[in-house]
Amino acid sequence: MADDFDVEVVTRDDRSARLLVRGLTPAVANGLRRTMLSEVPTFSIDTVRFVENSSVMFDEMVGLRLGLVPLTTPLDDYEVGESATLALDVEGPATAYSGDIETSDDLVQPADENVPIIELKEGQRLEFEADAVLDTGKEHAKHQGGVAVGYRHLQRVTVVGDADEFDEEEPNILRGVIETEDGELVHTEEFDADLTNRHPGKELEIEDVPSAFVFHIESDGSLSVDELTLRAVQSLRDRADELAEKVAV
Amino acid sequence: MELRVIDKTDEELRIEIAGEDHTFMNVLKGQLLNTDGVAAATYDMNPEQSGGQTEPILSVKTEDGLDPLDALGEAATGISDNLADLYDRIEAAFDDAAAEA
Repeated sequence: MADDFDVEVVTRDDRSARLLVRGLTPAVANGLRRTMLSEVPTFSIDTVRFVENSSVMFDEMVGLRLGLVPLTTPLDDYEVGESATLALDVEGPATAYSGDIETSDDLVQPADENVPIIELKEGQRLEFEADAVLDTGKEHAKHQGGVAVGYRHLQRVTVVGDADEFDEEEPNILRGVIETEDGELVHTEEFDADLTNRHPGKELEIEDVPSAFVFHIESDGSLSVDELTLRAVQSLRDRADELAEKVAV
Repeated sequence: MELRVIDKTDEELRIEIAGEDHTFMNVLKGQLLNTDGVAAATYDMNPEQSGGQTEPILSVKTEDGLDPLDALGEAATGISDNLADLYDRIEAAFDDAAAEA
């Protein structure tokens, strides 16, 4: 494994980040991606006890929708398999939103308040009590904390000279993050993903930077991007430690 | 993670690592191939088209008198050390980004 990691946050906002990691092998990069998706646990509604459901949807359909509502997950306070109780009581005419859900633990609550559960007409009512369970994406995709986790190679763009004067200018589309000649990191969205916007009339050379990966990590709000990433690294490391320990015996 | 040795000689090891999938096995294989004294390393997620066998099997072949179990231990420790370093770097990078914002 190439040593000497170098990590840089290229862009980040509330729920997503682009993270450049140098010195990774493809195996570890993919291991991390897979871990973020399937091994970092999050809360999700798993069992629903309906008190009244006079809405137009069957209990099962409402249950499915409830499972997909992201819930904030305090990983320090809960173990995989433990649960928290939630409840909802909405009477029509109104739309039941995820924000109407009451929780037994303030740390476990809907990550978004505006996820519609169902629209209720006059005289319809939805009341239930539900158990949210902490589990991993491996068990069920509703427990995935990362929504769009992937990576690309970092690409280095070098200007090698002027393009031939009579060449037809064709778009030169590139996705992801590029590294310029002076080492600056630029996301291709900044120039509309077309290199001819950034370097008009130039001849360019584009190459993948070896062992440099740009991760795009997006969270569904159940965990922060930092925590999702770090927990994934830790989860992978725990398994290596467990193996080392078992082999030593 | 349950380990079960299937075949073991001085230079060869076949071991079942129950409960793991490509996520960890591929990282482990990659690390083994970069370990000195390891001649070959591979894993099979679905050996013999799953004649009841559904857990991954790791095969390691060593040279220069290295015990394959030692190689496995060394690789596991190597991964752990690397990831500990990576953890600190990522944490620092996120802290830097938060400080700048």
